[in-house]
Amino acid sequence: MIPYEGLLFFYILAAVLVVSAVLGFLGKNQKYWGIIATLFMLSAIFDRGHEWLLIGFIAFELIVLYAYFVIRKKSKNCLLCWLFVFLSIAPLVLSKLSGILTENVIGFLGISYLTFKSVQIVIETYDGLIEKLSFIDTLYFIVFFPTISSGPIDRYRRFVGDINAEISGEQYSDLFKKGVWKLMTGVFYGLVISNLINTLWLSKIPESGLFNHWQYMYAYTFYLFFNFAGYSRMAIGTGYIMGVKVPENFDMPFISKDMKDFWSRWHISLSTWFRDYIYTRFAAVSLRKKWFKNIYMGSYIGYIITMTVMGFWHGFELHYIVYGIYHGLLMCANDVIEHKWKGYKKIRRKDKAWPVMALITFHLISFGMLIFSGRLF
Amino acid sequence: MKETLQELIADVSGFDPEDITDDIDFFEEGILDSFGVVHLLVKIEETFGKKINIAEIVRDDINTMDKLIAMVENV
Repeated sequence: MIPYEGLLFFYILAAVLVVSAVLGFLGKNQKYWGIIATLFMLSAIFDRGHEWLLIGFIAFELIVLYAYFVIRKKSKNCLLCWLFVFLSIAPLVLSKLSGILTENVIGFLGISYLTFKSVQIVIETYDGLIEKLSFIDTLYFIVFFPTISSGPIDRYRRFVGDINAEISGEQYSDLFKKGVWKLMTGVFYGLVISNLINTLWLSKIPESGLFNHWQYMYAYTFYLFFNFAGYSRMAIGTGYIMGVKVPENFDMPFISKDMKDFWSRWHISLSTWFRDYIYTRFAAVSLRKKWFKNIYMGSYIGYIITMTVMGFWHGFELHYIVYGIYHGLLMCANDVIEHKWKGYKKIRRKDKAWPVMALITFHLISFGMLIFSGRLF
Repeated sequence: MKETLQELIADVSGFDPEDITDDIDFFEEGILDSFGVVHLLVKIEETFGKKINIAEIVRDDINTMDKLIAMVENV
């Protein structure tokens, strides 16, 4: 059973959310119900064979997290942190290389999202930001079923705050209304609009020819947006009804003024994760240690590294890697324009400039999606 | 401190110090971006002789002049 597809999933989800709603309106904390519901949903979603793979993966990650939590109390050695980050991503790397774990696990990107959560905990443990690692809270964070297949990627401390919060029935009422709205609009985006685009346009485009590649670029971009944004809204809405304010993932990305604006609007939970755990840290070290004569080189290289990792995260196939490098170069170009053209930032703030900037940015984005689709490879 | 911070923000952002007013959100107005934030925090460290744990800084905690001043004073 695939999350957010098919009537069976929604029937079971409805039953789960009815209980969530009753608890919520009574002002009861939903953490333990959420864990029970998550374990039930995972057993319904996974086939028996892959259940053990998932259990093994989660057990391994929990061991890594707890081992590093204990070690960190005695040492803030940076190399040790790196070691545990590599241990945490090892199953993902192996799965990408061998295809062992990606087949028939929840969604195509399920393991990738679980790994993000583990790595984040390792890094924030190193930072000293996580002082307590509750087994129940950590397990729930990692396997939280609404977002397990394709995010949005939540943050550990934020999530733990939500699941342990006492929310009154009145406060829950607001969450419930927002959750239902997001769930319904997510269904519309993901199951209606994206399917219409695919059925009436995308799937009918011939495979070759410049004009067909050009229209495929637009069709695929819109299809991907409505499909992914729709899924995200369903996941966020479900989370809200379960008392968890899952972070937003999309914010009108096609009105972006430039590439930096785009990455603050598209797959937001992913871009902010990469920003906070890779780009910012690289930039900070390059500035503090004065690695480069031109200080902005730290930003340029940071973007190339961050976006290339993002490409590899999607997969080891060439089109994903090229997609990542493409966006890295675009972010560098955005940076160069800002640094060399003194008036750019002021022009960027003006409403009159928006249409032209948005049109150019949309085409840069769409070409990137064409690369991502693999059609050119 | 406020004038010093205005100059530092102007230096990293390319805006004039007069543009860095008390009522604006640095991120919404496009004055600071991801690199700008890091650059600013490193310059604050060098200027005020303080060590900032950049991993602890959340954008909402430093997005206005008042919040930025409060953060620097509390480090």
